[in-house]
Amino acid sequence: MNPGAEVARLLDSFDNMAEQSLAGLETAKAEGHKVVGVYCIFAPVEMIRAAGALPVGLCGKRVEPIAAAEAELPANLCPLIKSSYGYGVTGTCPFFSAADAVVGETTCDGKKKMYELLQRLKPLHLMHLPHGPAQPHALAYWSAEIGALADFLQKLTGNRITDESLREQIRVQNSVRRLMGELHALNAADDEVHLSGMQMLAVMEAKNFWPDARDYARRLEALIDLLRRIPARVAPMHPRRRILLTGTPVGKGAEKVLRLIEDAGAVVVAMENCTGLKSAWSLVDEDNPDPLDAIARRYLSLPCACMTPNAGRLALLRELASLYRVDGVVDLSWHACHTYMIESNQVALHLHDTTQTPLLHLCTDYGRNDTEALSTRIEAFLEML
Amino acid sequence: MSDAYRSMWQELGLDLDAHDMLLGVLGNAYKEIYLAQKGRPEGMGYFDFVMSEVHGLRIKELMDEKAAGRKIVGSYCVFVPEEIALAANATLVGLCSGADFAMEEVEKLLPRNTCALIKSSFGFKLGKVCPYLESADMIVGENTCDGKKKAYEALGHLVKNLYVMDLPQVKSENGRALLKAEYDRFKAAVEALTGVTITAESLKAAIQTVNAKRKAIHRLSALRKADPAPISGLDALLANQVFFYDNPARFTASVNKICDELEQRIEKKQGVFPAKTPRILISGCPQAVPNWKLPFIIESSGAVIVGEESCVGERGTRNLTAESGQTVEAMMEAIVDRYFQVDCAIFTPNAERLAHIEAMAAAYKAEGVIHYGLQFCQPYLMESIPVEKALEEKNIPCLRIETDYGMEDAGQLKTRIEAFVELLK
Repeated sequence: MNPGAEVARLLDSFDNMAEQSLAGLETAKAEGHKVVGVYCIFAPVEMIRAAGALPVGLCGKRVEPIAAAEAELPANLCPLIKSSYGYGVTGTCPFFSAADAVVGETTCDGKKKMYELLQRLKPLHLMHLPHGPAQPHALAYWSAEIGALADFLQKLTGNRITDESLREQIRVQNSVRRLMGELHALNAADDEVHLSGMQMLAVMEAKNFWPDARDYARRLEALIDLLRRIPARVAPMHPRRRILLTGTPVGKGAEKVLRLIEDAGAVVVAMENCTGLKSAWSLVDEDNPDPLDAIARRYLSLPCACMTPNAGRLALLRELASLYRVDGVVDLSWHACHTYMIESNQVALHLHDTTQTPLLHLCTDYGRNDTEALSTRIEAFLEML
Repeated sequence: MSDAYRSMWQELGLDLDAHDMLLGVLGNAYKEIYLAQKGRPEGMGYFDFVMSEVHGLRIKELMDEKAAGRKIVGSYCVFVPEEIALAANATLVGLCSGADFAMEEVEKLLPRNTCALIKSSFGFKLGKVCPYLESADMIVGENTCDGKKKAYEALGHLVKNLYVMDLPQVKSENGRALLKAEYDRFKAAVEALTGVTITAESLKAAIQTVNAKRKAIHRLSALRKADPAPISGLDALLANQVFFYDNPARFTASVNKICDELEQRIEKKQGVFPAKTPRILISGCPQAVPNWKLPFIIESSGAVIVGEESCVGERGTRNLTAESGQTVEAMMEAIVDRYFQVDCAIFTPNAERLAHIEAMAAAYKAEGVIHYGLQFCQPYLMESIPVEKALEEKNIPCLRIETDYGMEDAGQLKTRIEAFVELLK
């Protein structure tokens, strides 16, 4: 097979992962494994796996179930929360159906209060995040929450979470994180671009559905090896603009802005969001003698806008903007997501002051009504770069 | 308006023209909404005076306190414990957040889709029209909702003396420990500000002062159970609003004086509205001065408001801090216990709030509940639908209102509220 076809085949295998993984989940369940649904990168998947359960990302990226959710949730709420709840309440997310329990977290007001309703549908364990990671009490507070999750998982699975199993899962997840970084780095290496943002998205999103993390890592490694050996796929670079996408999470069904940017002739060379590098950039310390402490510290450092102040995100964006030599940053906020919307102003000022990178802030939902308007704004932004 | 005030405002850095405009609007609104009411208790004269001097005499008093070495601590939330401020020789005041001001400037810093209360607090700063904010030696923000939490990051660039307090979102042991740690940190910060170490004596006296203020409000609330209602909801709301600004001892005495008068009224079956006027409980977001929009519409639509399940109302004032502690540590624990009961919608789960709404509806013999949600206030808007469902299951009619500080929807609100009141009859 020629290298181009081989890349396409590998990419396809990531693209179709959600369907394949369902079968895997059924097998695992039949073997007695519990399935734990998660919504957010604050859910420590190492712990879920160390308890012998399988973490699986739950649906929340499509517009279809939103109408059903609005019977119980305010219409003026972020589409991700409405979609997530809508999937649950209409029973249309097979992963939600397969899950024995859900791990939620108090990232934002909307999710926090949505979980009050969702817990009527499924056993739910809620992790309470501190607001200020730098506050003196934050680590102790979060460590207690990590401990409570361990208790919950042990009770759910009947398995003990040992330090040994945690260390093993930490190594696996760290290797996945490193590979995600390497995959992104292909787009930083030279002026050519190996993977478009749309292709990257499919690869990264598949991570959330893959029952076997080691297998995912192996496939990712194979893809990276192959891409390194062949000429860049998305060449020629010029005059295409290199864009860093940041803000609220994107995914299949909620990739509108990413698609519009690339349709307008630019390339999203990196994503600083929950789907992208935000979760890949920091590792769990493998040398910490207390693996739960290592997990607590790493997850508390995730630069989500729910944190105040969220200096980590500014630092990460600054780093990515120079590393990937981006021409511009697009900051996406889902409608009514207060934390990312309010933070946007700060992000724009910071990038302007440090790397002189221009920023376009877009606020939208999962609908198609504003596609024209978004296109126009994106095109004008690219024109300006 | 004396020249002395003008020079005081100037020294505080207020924009005098903008401030004149604000006072003009405020004065007119007060006249049309408050002074136009019929049959008000005479004791409300005190509050009329307070309102006429809210940026004058009260600020002068604060400036005099500062000159005498006291410090002023400004707050935006009922989670900031007044007891701690008082015990360290500081005065706690609520900061302005009840009216739209300088919105164009505000929306350069905050998204348009931010709640009116948060935008207002920025507007008063950017427009330089809040003398409380300008006279404060410390401004306390608190991580309650997403909007406020993130807005304080921006406010930190506008003021030099912002102190941010973290809050838990769950009523667990871990959550209580966080609140305790934060109140201890706040205590140390206030002590550092004033140079005064809190003692068992000063803390006990402060707890007693604040409790006395709360007890006076409790007494006022209890009198509102009478039919006919001896005081309007608007006037009772005003007392609850002034709770955040006034000198505590004077406030307590003034509210108690009104209560004496109300007791006589009740004995004579004298009310501000006829007996059997439909009785309404307001529940939801806070109503800060001069946000009188909803109660004004309700009480000019043939109903009387008999209670506020709100931070500016019973949610904020309802529990006392235990006075029995003998040491600073014991009293700090008591303070944590008291504030940890506040059933703000930022908590999850927050079943206590629903129970309190139901209890209030029964106690004040409210025939209906109007749920007041500020647009974009997710915690309360998210709770509003479950609250409405739960109330309706108990045959308590509920009307969900979602609005802001603007008057554009006043006509539409009036139509909806009139229909709701009609249904209660």
